[in-house]
Amino acid sequence: MDGADRERLLARLREVVGERYAFADPYEMRLYQYDASPETALPDIVVLPGTSEEVARIVKICGEAKVPVTPRSAASSLAGGTVPVQGGVVITFARMDRILEIDIENLRAVVQPGVVNLALSQALKPYGYYYAPDPSSQGACTIGGNVATNAGGPHTLIYGVTVNHVMGLEVALPSGELVQVGGRKSAEAIGYDLTGVLVGSEGTMALVTRIWVKIQPLPPVQKTLMAVYPDVATASNAVSAIVRTGILPAAIEMMDKLSIQAIEAASHAGYPLDAGAVLLLEVDGIPEVAQELGERMAKVCRDNGASEVRIARNEQERQALWKGRKGAFSAMGRLSSDFYVMDGVVPRTKLPETLAKIDAISERTGFKICNVFHAGDGNLHPLVLFDAFQPGQYEAVLAIGDEILKLCAQAGGSVTGEHGIGLEKRENIRYVFSDDDLEVMDRVRRVFDPHLLMNPGKIFPGNGLQPSAPRYPPGFPRRQAAAAGGEDLWV
Amino acid sequence: MGVRAGTTVLPGHQITLADQRRLSVDDLLPSKIMHPADAEDAARGLRLCDLTPASVVIWGGGTQMRLGAPPRRYDIAFSTERMTRLLEYEPADLTCRVEAGMRMIDLQAALRAQGQRLPLDPPHPERATVGGMVAANTNGLGRARYGTVRDWVIGIAVAYPSGKVARAGGKVVKNVAGYDLMKLHIGALGTLGVVAEINLKVQATPESEATVLGHFEAATPAVAAGLQLARSYLAPSASIVLDRRALWECGLTADWRWTLALKLEGYAGEADAARDQASGVIRDAGGRVEAADLPPTFWDAARDWSAPDGDLVLLRAIAPIAALPNLSGAVPPEASVIIQPAAGVLDLRVTPPSAAPTLQRMRSQAGDEGQVVVASAPASMKSSLDVWGPPPPGFPIMRALKQALDPNGILNPGRFVGGI
Repeated sequence: MDGADRERLLARLREVVGERYAFADPYEMRLYQYDASPETALPDIVVLPGTSEEVARIVKICGEAKVPVTPRSAASSLAGGTVPVQGGVVITFARMDRILEIDIENLRAVVQPGVVNLALSQALKPYGYYYAPDPSSQGACTIGGNVATNAGGPHTLIYGVTVNHVMGLEVALPSGELVQVGGRKSAEAIGYDLTGVLVGSEGTMALVTRIWVKIQPLPPVQKTLMAVYPDVATASNAVSAIVRTGILPAAIEMMDKLSIQAIEAASHAGYPLDAGAVLLLEVDGIPEVAQELGERMAKVCRDNGASEVRIARNEQERQALWKGRKGAFSAMGRLSSDFYVMDGVVPRTKLPETLAKIDAISERTGFKICNVFHAGDGNLHPLVLFDAFQPGQYEAVLAIGDEILKLCAQAGGSVTGEHGIGLEKRENIRYVFSDDDLEVMDRVRRVFDPHLLMNPGKIFPGNGLQPSAPRYPPGFPRRQAAAAGGEDLWV
Repeated sequence: MGVRAGTTVLPGHQITLADQRRLSVDDLLPSKIMHPADAEDAARGLRLCDLTPASVVIWGGGTQMRLGAPPRRYDIAFSTERMTRLLEYEPADLTCRVEAGMRMIDLQAALRAQGQRLPLDPPHPERATVGGMVAANTNGLGRARYGTVRDWVIGIAVAYPSGKVARAGGKVVKNVAGYDLMKLHIGALGTLGVVAEINLKVQATPESEATVLGHFEAATPAVAAGLQLARSYLAPSASIVLDRRALWECGLTADWRWTLALKLEGYAGEADAARDQASGVIRDAGGRVEAADLPPTFWDAARDWSAPDGDLVLLRAIAPIAALPNLSGAVPPEASVIIQPAAGVLDLRVTPPSAAPTLQRMRSQAGDEGQVVVASAPASMKSSLDVWGPPPPGFPIMRALKQALDPNGILNPGRFVGGI
């Protein structure tokens, strides 16, 4: 966008949100060039709407000017979902962070997209209710972002992912219309399930401005167990054994040897340092049943090779066990200056062989790979450790990531379980979908967004389905840029 | 929308008179039949229909063919009767992949052999197919506890009029790659494509089960008791409020006017605890708890009740759960009714003469957060009933989606919302 165009657009956007909430200062643009992925790209303008109507007007103005729009709230995307890869306008939902209604009668809450996930559950707690999807970043990520990526979390094994908890949406269409879709307060709606299609569409169809979510009663008791295994294969087989007994825990998390060491160094969760793998299992229930389920699971764990099983005796012990898991990614800083987080899925029964293959990749390439993941649903999060200051390492790590995703797809799984395709995996999506599959998805996208201005450059591979190449080549990590010359150092 | 010339030769096989009658929809008869062997075959068949163009009505088990507006045209009966295979099933993964024409009863039997089940219970499982359940979004009585079809379908293969088979989702329980097109096809009545294969999550069969009946003199306290239980942690897996006539239609009699029937399921010990809780809530609401054992056919009859045959019309109100007491007040005395308090669903069986006035009254009572549809009606009633009601918000997008995926309008033309 040239300077005159930018000034004209900025002036129009300021008419909508006021002087303070639309800006284009180059220094400030740098704050909005990145998310939690390694990708970066500068927007031309950043705008902070305060209401749904303002969002709709902004989208309309951008549509008329044929300028791309990229939505953003907490920017915790690990897949580059909020990186404005074609420049244009970044719409950030920081000001739209209100819980609009808590409706216990109808088991619903209504929120704006900028509400932090955990804040909703905290607001519901006094009533004895909560919002079930709990991404590990729930203290930072927003429900709007969760809707965009159809986010999961450790407890989705039993309660499902975001889409299972979203009843209706208000969205701003690229045309500038505000539409309410879905059941809102009632469970079902007639017509096509537009809500279901919009959830997980990563902002490529419309911008979500209001969300109707289901809420549910807090479980009376949560029993949390830690089971210690000699290796990940034995632990993986134990996971399948538990599921086969008919118990579906609320969560089954696994951490491998390297992760345990990092976690223990960082948070002293009490995981044994000599363990090859640790499983964290949790069941919800009424006290007498949860206690019994805990004991039954402990027995299955022992029968399937656990050297030690520890049941948290109180909430404090439970929180300590979870603290390690939830802080796992940040603990990786103890092992390496940089790490690359993957998000593949395999059928639960394919965990042992997939983990063995990942191990072989680590051996072959010399890069350490940690595994901290949602074992219950086969959702792997291999973390490849590297040093971005070493020339060539980042490229090598991307190649490893590609190989791991291919493995997951070949095992009958998927290239993303909860982080989204975003910018990062838009080529990898071909491992799970044919051109015919993608062509139908593209048709659906164009129904909403005929001019491809909504979060362009995401999800779809660059095979002609895209109108133009990204302005900045993907795979240009921030720290490499920093190493190349202090100029591009992000703050 | 394509218009077919009168002399065009239709694709498909010759159809017998018996099949023509069996596969009639709202008194319209098909001219030809197609019964593809698999997804690819289905797509080839659709391509031929699209080129002609010939309009297609998709048939599974036929249990929901009384839903929807009459088709605008009906040339080809497109039957999934040959697509009945269980393609994959790994019990330890709690997932399976089936062809659309597989009957629910056969799927449940295969799962039961491994101690598992699909916790969806559409009416008439001995005829209903998995594909039909998906296309019609047929949810039984377990929806408040276990969710609806959208919560259990993890992937699909769809045959489109373009002649292509396209997939979405996958075989794993957690997957956000690409658009969730499963949602688009669930409840679309096959108007966007023919769902040919379905990947499902399944679950372990509950370890314990119990039923509790609570009898009441009025609907409101029965619904209130159902709601209170729905908001509790040990929510029933089925919770229905029946009037005396509906109870009789399900094979039971009672001296009381209203009955709250609760199915309780869970791990060992949970059903007992839930029974104690439910009994307490019923008593507190002024009801009488009946402990007598029920005939095993009761829950099956209650499940099938919402898909009646003959002249009966079934109206379904879907509303915010807190609006149900008010809505149940609008039920005319001659109707029989089953309310699912926890799901916000109220089903009414009425006879043809009172169908139209009742529909109108229910719609005005439902308010702007609720809706009332005709879930089942004989052909003779369809012309006098607006079966879907006014198009929902976002309808222009729905019409555009139809145009994008079925540009010649060959798939179930006219049967869906707003004339789609």
